[in-house]
Amino acid sequence: MALRSRLDLLQGTLDLLILRALQTEPMHGWAISERIQQISQDVLQVNQGSLYPALHRLEHQGWIDAEWGVSELGRRARFYKLNKAGRKQLELETNQWARLSAAIGRVLDLA
Amino acid sequence: MTWKDLRLRLRALLFQRRVEDELDEELRFHIEMETRKNVQRGMPPAEAGRKVGVDFGGFPQVKEACREMRGLRLIETTLQDLRYAFSGFRRTPGFALTVIGTIALGLGLNTTLFTIFNAYVLQPLSVNDPYRLYQFTWANRAQEGHRFSWGEFRDFERQNPAFSEVVAFNRVSFARVEGHLMLGQMVTGNYFEMLGVTAMRGRTLLPADATVPGSAPVAVLSFDAWTNKFGSDPNILEKQIPIRGHNLQIVGVAQAGFRGLSEVPLDYWVPVTLAPLLEQDTSLFGPRQPERLTLVGRLRPDLTPRQAQTTLTAWAQRHTESLPDAAHATHAILRSRATVVPLEPAVVAAAVPVFVAFGMVLLIACANVANMMLARAMARQREIGIRLAMGAGRARLIRQLLTESVALAVPAAVAGFAISSESIRWGQWLVFNTMPASFREFLTMMPLQPDARVFCFMLAAAVLSAVLFGIAPAIQATRSSVMQAARGEFTTDFRPARLRSALVVLQVSVSVLLLICATVLIRINQRMQQLEVGLQPRGVVVMDLQERFRERVMQHLSAAAGIQQIAAAGKVPFEGYLPRVPVVAGEDSGQVPAGYLYASPEYFEVFQLPILRGRNFTRDEALSGAAVAIVSQATAQRLWPGRDAVGRELRILPNPQQRRSLADPRAGPPAFASAQVIGVARDAVNGWVGEGPDSTCVYFPTAPTRAGNALFVRVRGDAAAAVRRLDAMFTAATPGAVDQLHTMEDVLGAQIYPFRAMYWISAALGGLALLLTISGIYGVLSYVVTQRTKEIGIRVALGARPGAVAALVLRQSMRFAFAGAIIGGTAAIGLLRLVASQVDMKLLGSLDWLAVGTGMALVSASSAAAAWLPSRRAAGIEPVSTLRCD
Repeated sequence: MALRSRLDLLQGTLDLLILRALQTEPMHGWAISERIQQISQDVLQVNQGSLYPALHRLEHQGWIDAEWGVSELGRRARFYKLNKAGRKQLELETNQWARLSAAIGRVLDLA
Repeated sequence: MTWKDLRLRLRALLFQRRVEDELDEELRFHIEMETRKNVQRGMPPAEAGRKVGVDFGGFPQVKEACREMRGLRLIETTLQDLRYAFSGFRRTPGFALTVIGTIALGLGLNTTLFTIFNAYVLQPLSVNDPYRLYQFTWANRAQEGHRFSWGEFRDFERQNPAFSEVVAFNRVSFARVEGHLMLGQMVTGNYFEMLGVTAMRGRTLLPADATVPGSAPVAVLSFDAWTNKFGSDPNILEKQIPIRGHNLQIVGVAQAGFRGLSEVPLDYWVPVTLAPLLEQDTSLFGPRQPERLTLVGRLRPDLTPRQAQTTLTAWAQRHTESLPDAAHATHAILRSRATVVPLEPAVVAAAVPVFVAFGMVLLIACANVANMMLARAMARQREIGIRLAMGAGRARLIRQLLTESVALAVPAAVAGFAISSESIRWGQWLVFNTMPASFREFLTMMPLQPDARVFCFMLAAAVLSAVLFGIAPAIQATRSSVMQAARGEFTTDFRPARLRSALVVLQVSVSVLLLICATVLIRINQRMQQLEVGLQPRGVVVMDLQERFRERVMQHLSAAAGIQQIAAAGKVPFEGYLPRVPVVAGEDSGQVPAGYLYASPEYFEVFQLPILRGRNFTRDEALSGAAVAIVSQATAQRLWPGRDAVGRELRILPNPQQRRSLADPRAGPPAFASAQVIGVARDAVNGWVGEGPDSTCVYFPTAPTRAGNALFVRVRGDAAAAVRRLDAMFTAATPGAVDQLHTMEDVLGAQIYPFRAMYWISAALGGLALLLTISGIYGVLSYVVTQRTKEIGIRVALGARPGAVAALVLRQSMRFAFAGAIIGGTAAIGLLRLVASQVDMKLLGSLDWLAVGTGMALVSASSAAAAWLPSRRAAGIEPVSTLRCD
């Protein structure tokens, strides 16, 4: 796979993507990375070494809750769930992202 | 920090094991899923697993990153590091104890010094809002300070431009009360009110006590005086104390902790209006208006010290307008009186060299320990290399090594604290017991108790030394790269040799410096001891008395047994400088400032000071104060070189520099304009001992009956016993008449004492530094020998003689010694030059090459001695056994 075909995630955007991925249902870590990769049609590749630290950080910030459940294959897995504070944070960060990308888009159009 | 965060952290801390297991399981699950995915895509299982590992980027590293997120890493790892450190210390208790002992010694010494500094310079006085208190004076063009006369004080109090309130007090004065020496001060009536000091018994002095001169004779005692000198007498308020022969009613005891505003703790305070009673001769309120009051005021709340300075400068200039030019005020001087000694540039400048000398001992101790840590770290290279290879971050390892240092520094601080309080106790005992007996009671010190500031200093010094002795070894030890560690190479990039050598050279230099300074002081002290004072102090007792009792004291003295002869002089020899007056020898020469002394004819006999040519004063000349003079040999040489001085005329010029306050009839220059030289006396020390024999001294006649003279009594038998006998006699017959009573040997001893003390302290510091350096050199060399065992084995196998091998080690030691001796010696020479340029003292002599040489030689010899054992060990290395090892 050519290097250029995948984008490295911008600092801080991983948190946003994780929150967004968890919006619909609770998921375990591996499923989150799969989901992000799938939806972005393989453009965004989550560095797995940074996924778990990010999950633990979000849990400490109180935006997601974690509990042990059973995976689709019947194995014990740690599931992450978006909570109320997390939804608010997601909304906030989504807005910020939209404003940022719109602004960058405008600059690129004009320049 | 949210509640949830806190809960998670707590859980991670309390159920560490479980949280770790969960993390492990979570990551393992991910890897399993990923591998499964790769296999489903058609990769062979082995390849699939490898790829996941690569993508994942190191299982332990990811775990570590997740742990970091828990935010507990710092506490957790610190605890872990501490556990690790302590188990290490348990395995090598000798190492840990040596480090703790070495650092404790350095810390203890420095804490002692800081405790003293703190008590005098940092601890605020126990008065109301001490930081608003300022002493006010002004300087004239000659940069002389000013004391206030009573009238000036009243003027200032009325106009008072910058203070909300001002008090004034006199110089500290001595009094003998019931065999105790008591220090006291005359203060204005508002003194206690303004300072906000209350009485713990009775009352303080009140404004009503000091309204008119000659008010009721009352006194207030300090709490310390009440407990120490009056045994906490509950009936103290009914007592009277005889001060200067007057009974003063004690009206109160001031609150505990208040010791006045002076450098020495005071025992009593009396109203300033008692001055006519207690100092009859030149009263504060008399027409002469002597300038002897110190002013301290509480700064008005709306003024900053700078604004006050401006206002007061303007006031002082206006106030001195009408005075002669030389007396014009140039600027006001405001000094903070928040502490016993104000924290001013001059005080700091005086304290810095002492702190540097003590700090250097701590520095050497740290260098020693750093070397030990370095050697230890080197022995642990394999362990450190493995940990680096296992993915431990370098910063993390350095932190662990530093934690070890702190774990050593904290017990060292505790031990240092114990050393410090012991050394203070011991030092006070030592000073008390080595002081000349009759001067012991003058030795009053501020209480030296550690407080919060001392603890903070201790803590800061401990942490600083931990970093000092820990950081370099930690950085050095973690320098090996993962690659080398993996190959089992531990020495290629690990080169602490240079650092170690630098540390040893630093130690040697510092101890050379300290030892040279100690030697210089020893030599000054030696010169002091051997100093030809020219006067025979043995068997002579000196006394200072109250003028109005002079006649009675003389009567008692002549009636007392064991008295051979009574002499008098305007000044006690050995202490303080001789006053000077410009003189001209005849017509043909220029004027010379000459020291002068009023002496009775008996002075020469009592002190066995021979008159070499001419004659002594006669009784009549003494009683009338005739215009005759005896000059010292040196003076005769200077004024009439190569000619006979006897019979010549000495013209005395009026002294232009004579200040108003010093124009005291008894101490001032003679009233006659010329005197005939009738004799030449042998040279002697009538001035200060530190100056050596007087460069010039002109004796003018006086008699024991004349006011202002100190009396010198030659007694039969033991002078100390005579002092006790006379003290008892005067206390019974005329209490308060004699202020001071000492043997002349004690007077001389007390003047030499500070030099002795300085020499002892610097010798102790130098000795300690030398000991630490020897142990440092020994440690490094034995380490180097162990490290080079293989190389030395090969040398021996190739035919090197044991002597050559020993020389190898000795040479290394000597390299340290020479480098250090040169650096330390150069620093010492610079320092001595600097001191010599600042201090004008004859006994300091010119640059003392002998001292410099002694210091350097001593340290070099010690270095060679320290290298002896390691070199013997090196010489004894058996090539066969060493080459087999490893």
